[in-house]
Amino acid sequence: MSTLTMDGLKAGSRLEKILARGHFAVTAELGPPKSADAAVIAAKAGHLRGNVDAANITDNQTAIVRMSSIAAGLLAMKEGIEPIIQITCRDRNRIAIQSDVLGAYALGICNILCLTGDHQKFGNHPTSKNVFDMDSIQLIAMLACMRDQKKFACGDEIRNSKKAPVVEPRILIGGAENPFGDPLEFRAIRLAKKVEAGADFIQTQCIYDMERFAEFMRQVRARGLHEKVKILAGVTPLKSAGMAKYMRDSVAGLSVPDSYIERMDRAADKPAEGIKICIEQIQALREIEGVAGIHIMAIEWEEKVAEIVKGAGLWPRPEPDGEPGVRS
Amino acid sequence: MITAVRKPFAEIAGMLEGSGKVLILGCGTCVTVCMAGGEKEVAILASTLRLANQKDGREMQIAEATIERQCDREFFDSVRDAVVQADVVLSLACGVGVQFLGEVFPDKAVLPGLDTKFYGAAVEQGVWAERCSGCGTCVIGEYGGVCPVTRCSKSLLNGPCGGSQKGKCEVDPQNIDCGWQLIYDRMKALGQLDRLEAVKPIKDWSTGRHGGPGKIVKEEALL
Amino acid sequence: MARKTARITALLCENSGWKAYVDAAAEGVEASRLLQDLDAVKLPCSGKVEVGLILKLLENGSAGVLVLGCPKDNCTFIRGNYRAEKRVGAAKAALREAGLDEGLVRLDFLSSLDSRKLIDAVVSFKGYIDDHSRS
Repeated sequence: MSTLTMDGLKAGSRLEKILARGHFAVTAELGPPKSADAAVIAAKAGHLRGNVDAANITDNQTAIVRMSSIAAGLLAMKEGIEPIIQITCRDRNRIAIQSDVLGAYALGICNILCLTGDHQKFGNHPTSKNVFDMDSIQLIAMLACMRDQKKFACGDEIRNSKKAPVVEPRILIGGAENPFGDPLEFRAIRLAKKVEAGADFIQTQCIYDMERFAEFMRQVRARGLHEKVKILAGVTPLKSAGMAKYMRDSVAGLSVPDSYIERMDRAADKPAEGIKICIEQIQALREIEGVAGIHIMAIEWEEKVAEIVKGAGLWPRPEPDGEPGVRS
Repeated sequence: MITAVRKPFAEIAGMLEGSGKVLILGCGTCVTVCMAGGEKEVAILASTLRLANQKDGREMQIAEATIERQCDREFFDSVRDAVVQADVVLSLACGVGVQFLGEVFPDKAVLPGLDTKFYGAAVEQGVWAERCSGCGTCVIGEYGGVCPVTRCSKSLLNGPCGGSQKGKCEVDPQNIDCGWQLIYDRMKALGQLDRLEAVKPIKDWSTGRHGGPGKIVKEEALL
Repeated sequence: MARKTARITALLCENSGWKAYVDAAAEGVEASRLLQDLDAVKLPCSGKVEVGLILKLLENGSAGVLVLGCPKDNCTFIRGNYRAEKRVGAAKAALREAGLDEGLVRLDFLSSLDSRKLIDAVVSFKGYIDDHSRS
């Protein structure tokens, strides 16, 4: 039912090719500016270019207004970065989202990450109305329906008129998962639902507790999910002992082993130690069956991504045929 | 019931400024149960206003009355004269009652003394919590008796978001339980966890407020 | 010209305040003099006090309302005096809203045997009311 490219790909993006060919994928994050300043994107893209396979362009993360993900994604593409644009369920209804997806694809964007979205109370416009017309699983299903059934959520075919050709958005669909959130027992089930809905890849929240993550992956493998979806494990390099303690104490569901906190406390050069820990984590994650890549979230520390990727032995990035960001 | 809280006194006093004859009209149903607009609360508000007026030397006649409820025409009959005589009626009913009062007495200035909050119930004496959003298509039975539209801060239908921690919702961990933790626990106890594995399709929101103000007609009840 | 004497209202729990009042009133001329200009009302428990009653009394001319109940953790009905505290608190809030002094209502605690404390409580409250008179 789904139209595939010549080499069996759904979207033909660089990210899809790397994952399909069994390479250990590397993605990172690029947060758009809280203004109309395109130069910010160029600067961040400069740090990521050549070091990652694709970069997430966040969508009003934490409900703080930033340049739109699609616009920033297009600007990133011009800087040689393949974007994974993000869509949350908080701000847009099904009409707006389907519209955005058509537009994104027409602009050459073909990786989309589907998220629930942080509640508006966390951001800078807490008195706004939210939307949540759908949840992230229904969003994944809606995008999969656009791509594979070539239909909108209402059932209409994706064509401009009865005589016009069907032109559906051929996108790679991603979802997110927090392996440590509550209820813990439900997390693998939720992941299974995203896979059933049509997710092609999953990025997890940042992991510090390798044992607990290994247990999560065991549950994932028991359901055979690792063969149906490409899972990228999230990592965030620690900058300081304070950051490590903050992550342990204040971030929902995150457990940070005491050993990391001790190392950060003792280290003379804390940022360097944080990078070292991150590289060790990546190496440990590569050993876990079912992990197809990593997602590096070095928020406001994008300049360290190159060092991390190189230190983990993941540089240079493989070059699949064709240029980055151009569909084949 | 429909729950409400009384508006801040300063706001009410501001609304009534310049009025000569005020009728404070209470409601004996929902707002009596949630202790916001019943006979007692009418008396307290009336006394507070009179004390303030005494202090500031303001002339204002304040009448008090409470009827069974303000969402059925018949109950206004007993206070018709009192309403007609007043310059303004401050209704302590929920938003429904205030508007209905205005429809029954279209020539009368009608003011709301309460801020209507939600459909809820008393979880303990003195504490009321929201339980229903009036979405128009009830799916409580599919979720072990817990409404995901109302109890989940994001109305998610397929499982919790990443902000569920120790059974609390990150939007307000002090006051809001994670609706999905409640659903999970309830369905586990019922042995129905497998039902949560099915992908629930996107909701039709048009059966509720998103379809415009609603109306119900029961043909066999029409005169 | 004779100054009109303000009358205060005392809402007295029958298990504590009321008993102490009855004993105090019987003590002698001096005690009776200190307890004049007071309207005493018996309540089954201080927790029975109603916010609306306090406000109505003040609205109708009472200079101040004194509520006397049993000491904390000594209430015949276990938590009645805690409820009294909350309700008096709500009455104080209403007085503040109306732009009045919240000190026009006061809650105190004593045992049924403490007629001396009852007299002191009344005298103290009367003093406050006279100093902060509304008229």
